[in-house]
Amino acid sequence: MAVLGPSGSGKSTLLRAIAGLEPIAAGRVLIDGADQAGVPPPGRGVAMVFQSFALFPHLDVERNIAFGLRARGETTAHVLDTARSLGLGALLDRRPAELSGGERQRVALARALVANPRVLLLDEPLSNLDAQLRAGARVEIRRVQERTAVTTLHVTHDQDEALALGHRVAVLHEGRVMQVGTPDELWERPASTWIARFVGTPPMNVLRAPVAGLEIVGEGLVGFRAEDAVVRSGDSSIVFELAERIGAQRLWHLRAGDEAVVVRAPEGAEPPPRGTAVRVTVPAAAVRRFDA
Amino acid sequence: MSERRQLALMLLPYGAGALLLFVVPAQLSLALALTDADLITPSRFVGLDNVHALTEDPFFGEVVWRSALFVALAVPIRLAVATGFALLLHARFRGAGAARTAVFSPSVIPDTAWALVWLFLLNPLYGPVNALLGLVGLGPVSWFSDGDAAFAAIVLMFAFTVGESFIVALAARQELPDELYEVARLEGARATYVLRVVTLPLLAPVLLLLAVRDVAVSLQATFTAVYLLTDGGPDRATLLLPIYSFDKGFEQFQYGYASAMMLLAFFGCLALALLQYLIVRRWRLGVTGTSA
Repeated sequence: MAVLGPSGSGKSTLLRAIAGLEPIAAGRVLIDGADQAGVPPPGRGVAMVFQSFALFPHLDVERNIAFGLRARGETTAHVLDTARSLGLGALLDRRPAELSGGERQRVALARALVANPRVLLLDEPLSNLDAQLRAGARVEIRRVQERTAVTTLHVTHDQDEALALGHRVAVLHEGRVMQVGTPDELWERPASTWIARFVGTPPMNVLRAPVAGLEIVGEGLVGFRAEDAVVRSGDSSIVFELAERIGAQRLWHLRAGDEAVVVRAPEGAEPPPRGTAVRVTVPAAAVRRFDA
Repeated sequence: MSERRQLALMLLPYGAGALLLFVVPAQLSLALALTDADLITPSRFVGLDNVHALTEDPFFGEVVWRSALFVALAVPIRLAVATGFALLLHARFRGAGAARTAVFSPSVIPDTAWALVWLFLLNPLYGPVNALLGLVGLGPVSWFSDGDAAFAAIVLMFAFTVGESFIVALAARQELPDELYEVARLEGARATYVLRVVTLPLLAPVLLLLAVRDVAVSLQATFTAVYLLTDGGPDRATLLLPIYSFDKGFEQFQYGYASAMMLLAFFGCLALALLQYLIVRRWRLGVTGTSA
């Protein structure tokens, strides 16, 4: 389960409330159906990976991973297995300062997993990594999650991360859950214009139809994805502004009056001069209508 | 004006002060140590005669030993008091500011006032310390006429003038990331375990530096208290280096001899500081958190 929201939406607070680090004013935290009110943090069976990884700088990798086990006086027999499964077998006597960002992240993950938690809480675990490391770490988290089958709550402000990792995604905005669904549902059927404008790179275009030059079924607030629109030249109130490449896709930024519209560039087409009028056609199946 | 010159100009008052009030007197004292100066008859150069005489002065050996004992007792106690208060008062809570001020205040009131406070506190007949001891069936202790008790009294009154160390320890503790403590909470680590395994090791480099400084402070700062409270008595029980050197110089007019004594104390102090510095360097712990 991924928890997606912009900064300040209450994602981390939600995780901390589940962990018992933050008091709850209203509502309940259920783990395996049991109310956790009054259950102290260590009794909840939750483990957390912090954004900063929160490794103990003076302890080596082995001691970091085994910290909780030693603190509770439990056996440290599984430490080596856990470390090896995350590729940390050769780094056990290193200190965090001697590790790369990716290695630190895996140590934090190993420390969280070593005691077989019921719930694994990940607070922006990838945001402290370089862009190159992030993709690898993302796959690693997914692999670990599938191998251990531990219920995981992955908090992130990065929707690519949320859509890639979450079997289900909860979108949080100003402390409220706006929508819970599979990544496909969020992508194709956002529950509100706010989610439509938040999810996706680029996000969904949301316009108030009719717009001269926009051939679309329906009136009022309509939305469509950049890749579903077809662009050709022609008489229109929509004008071309600039072209942009994001990874494999090339995007054209258009302007319809006050509204910005982003569409996928037509196959093989050179960007026209700035200010060129273009017509945009959206197939009926790709249109999403919103209330209000 | 170049930045360099600005810097030089701003350093000038401090540099001049250090030169006139510290370096020059120290040089004069060094020179004095090699003479038989008594400020009455003309001084003669006597080389290392004073040092030689010191080694044969039975009082001096006794005073050195007693001073060492004082440092060995006072430094750990002072450090424990400073660190203890820092750990108790680092969090934000109602009255924390007032409590911190209270801990710091003994270090800013004049030594003489502090000595008078303790003269009252330790009064054998109507002092509150003896009254408290009386409640648990101890005492009354003759704080200023019993040798061991007088020595303990000097240690006791020095246990609380730890404002500077307290501030430094407080700042060092506040530098430690909260998340480390949240990990410890989630993992169910007890407070004593966290203190032993997390807090003290992470504060160790700072505490060792404070200890280095405190050795120098404890060797020197006893003068006013001893002078006012016991004047080295009873029966030399509180005769420490500063007061003995004062007696020799300013009451027996053996300035050369007193200077040689302080010179030896200086080198002893320097050696101790170097030793501690080497320990700190070997320790080489980072207090900078996890994302170095």
